Amino acid sequence: MIVEMSRVEIIGLKKHLEQLIPFLHTSGYIQIDDIREIPDVILQPFRPTVKMKEEREEIDLLIANINGLVESFSANHNMTNEPDVRTNDLTFYGIKNNVADITAKVQYFNMRKKTLQEELISHSKYIEILKVISPFIPESSKKSGNATIRALIHSSQTRAMALLANQLKLLTHGKFEMITAKVGEETKAVIGIFPLELVSQVEGFMKNEKVAKLVLPEEYTYLSTDEALQHIEKKVELNHEELDKIDESLQRMATKWLPLLKIWQLICKDKVDENEAFLKIGETEFTFTIFGWIPKEDIMILRDVLRKEFSEEVSLNEIDIPKELRSRIPVKTRNPKAVEPFEHFVKMRATPSYSDIDPSILVAVFMPIFFGMMAGDVGYGIVMLMIALLIGKKVKEGLMADIMKFLRLGAIWTIVFGVLFGEYFGDLGEKLDIKPLWLSRSEPDSIFPLLTMAIAVGVGHIMFGLLIGAWNAFVHKSRSHLLERIGMFVGILGLLFLVGSLISFLPSGFSILGWIVFAIGLIAVSVSMGTTGIFLGPIEFVGLIGSILSYLRIAALGLASVYLAKVANDLGGMVSSAVVGVLIAVIIHTLNIIMGILSPTIQSLRLQYVEFFRRFYKGGHSPFMPFKKRVTTKLKL
Amino acid sequence: MEKAIIALAAALSIGLTAIATSLAQRAIGSAGVGALAEKPELVGSIIILVAIPETLVILGFAVAAIMLMN
Repeated sequence: MIVEMSRVEIIGLKKHLEQLIPFLHTSGYIQIDDIREIPDVILQPFRPTVKMKEEREEIDLLIANINGLVESFSANHNMTNEPDVRTNDLTFYGIKNNVADITAKVQYFNMRKKTLQEELISHSKYIEILKVISPFIPESSKKSGNATIRALIHSSQTRAMALLANQLKLLTHGKFEMITAKVGEETKAVIGIFPLELVSQVEGFMKNEKVAKLVLPEEYTYLSTDEALQHIEKKVELNHEELDKIDESLQRMATKWLPLLKIWQLICKDKVDENEAFLKIGETEFTFTIFGWIPKEDIMILRDVLRKEFSEEVSLNEIDIPKELRSRIPVKTRNPKAVEPFEHFVKMRATPSYSDIDPSILVAVFMPIFFGMMAGDVGYGIVMLMIALLIGKKVKEGLMADIMKFLRLGAIWTIVFGVLFGEYFGDLGEKLDIKPLWLSRSEPDSIFPLLTMAIAVGVGHIMFGLLIGAWNAFVHKSRSHLLERIGMFVGILGLLFLVGSLISFLPSGFSILGWIVFAIGLIAVSVSMGTTGIFLGPIEFVGLIGSILSYLRIAALGLASVYLAKVANDLGGMVSSAVVGVLIAVIIHTLNIIMGILSPTIQSLRLQYVEFFRRFYKGGHSPFMPFKKRVTTKLKL
Repeated sequence: MEKAIIALAAALSIGLTAIATSLAQRAIGSAGVGALAEKPELVGSIIILVAIPETLVILGFAVAAIMLMN
């Protein structure tokens, strides 16, 4: 049902404005219109104060910080439950201080992590090189009074290095000892051992010859290769331990703060909304004016609370809806809880127009019935019902929850039609001698009644849609639409008479009557379309017949489902092993049930959207979005 | 022989329309998914657009059913 809306203005003294906006925000009754977008308004838009601008900047910065933290925490923490948004003991400065503390901690941990990870990368390279050269280190290097120098060279430098070693031997009077080891495809490690007193000379010589010395971190420089290797390995182990501890700390922080951060995010968004609401209102030197929309039933309530809160200095008046704003009336729908999922399906197509009839209840009635007609199997219906109940228990919100609620009803209708068609996991019922109450879809003779049923459903559904459309047109005094829909209705009636007499269901006299009624309908449709109606009228009518034939999908999908179920049973029965036979049957039935959930859902939705809605539904208005807090808290700045 | 030709005609009727539907849905579906990535609120319209060509195969089914019934 579409709720009746009223246009209102709230006028008052400017001194109350700072109190009024949060009050309206908390009460959540009114949708505020932006005065800058309303035509023919001579009021000046509100000019925000410097303090308000500063507040806005502060909040934007805070939101950016919170977003950063949420993103960082979400990366390594899965929040299963939505935050409890009923928290009401938070202040803006409380949030700000908490966010600053958390940000500082997270930044410290992230920087430390980065340093440790960089160390790990460099240390793992040292370990790799030292492990390769360690076995080649001669005993002489361990003698006191000897120094070791390590260098990395390219393979192409090997010869030059040998020459260099000779020169160093000469320089050290034969006391220089050199060992080379391959550490990579094209890299070699060179180890030189020589008397300690010659360190500066050897190093200077190597520097002159541009040989890159393997420089270990400062703390390992004066250690022997084995000692350096041990120390670096120990350091790597410690780094890993520290990294694990940091990850654990971040995880703990995420568990503790992520739900709160999400609430703070909403609180800050609320504050931004409040800040922006000021920009939507008009002002004079001493007064302000707010234009907006409110459900008619809420006017008195809001008026009373405003009077109580602001005495007579703020007043709410209902005003006429200007012609140019009629297409912008926001739409609020209200339906019983059971119909809500179908309301969402309708809104997926388009939010209803204010002048529309809300089709949610109609969709709630027809969609599950069509689903049941297509799936129509007692066994499948029971399985579907169990799936819907199981998933419905776990998923409470969103599209999936809506589909599960629909599937519950669809499954019940599947069982009902299953009894009518005598289908229990395909033809298993037949094998157990359970007779159908109406017809067996697996019998070749039943195709004609099945097709007739589908067409009859289509005719009924479309004619019902046309009647709603005609009523809608009558209420809104749209003569052309009324004529078009009545014309189509009458035309279909004429076709029914014709077909009825053709199949001898009606006396032959109805044939002429059918032609006459059909011609009247066609002429009415053509006339409703104006000058081009002579061409468009018949085309529109052909389209209408196409729409009716489209309901044949009910029969087609049903047949596909029943034959696949039959194949499952027959194939299972052909195998000599009972276990394998049952397994084959279960696999094919499972496949059929999955297809039986997906396909009839889409097809029954399509029949509503395309064939039914086209007869009366316009849609396209914006939904009613009251100025309402996401979190019920009093945020103080 | 006549039965075989009728069966073949029915198979062609539903098979060719199924191919036509799938070709149309391929184009509409890929464009629709692209549009949905940009505007998720278009899901209702996309379902309609994807479902429209299915009428072809339904009509093919109707023709096949009539042929087989006769």
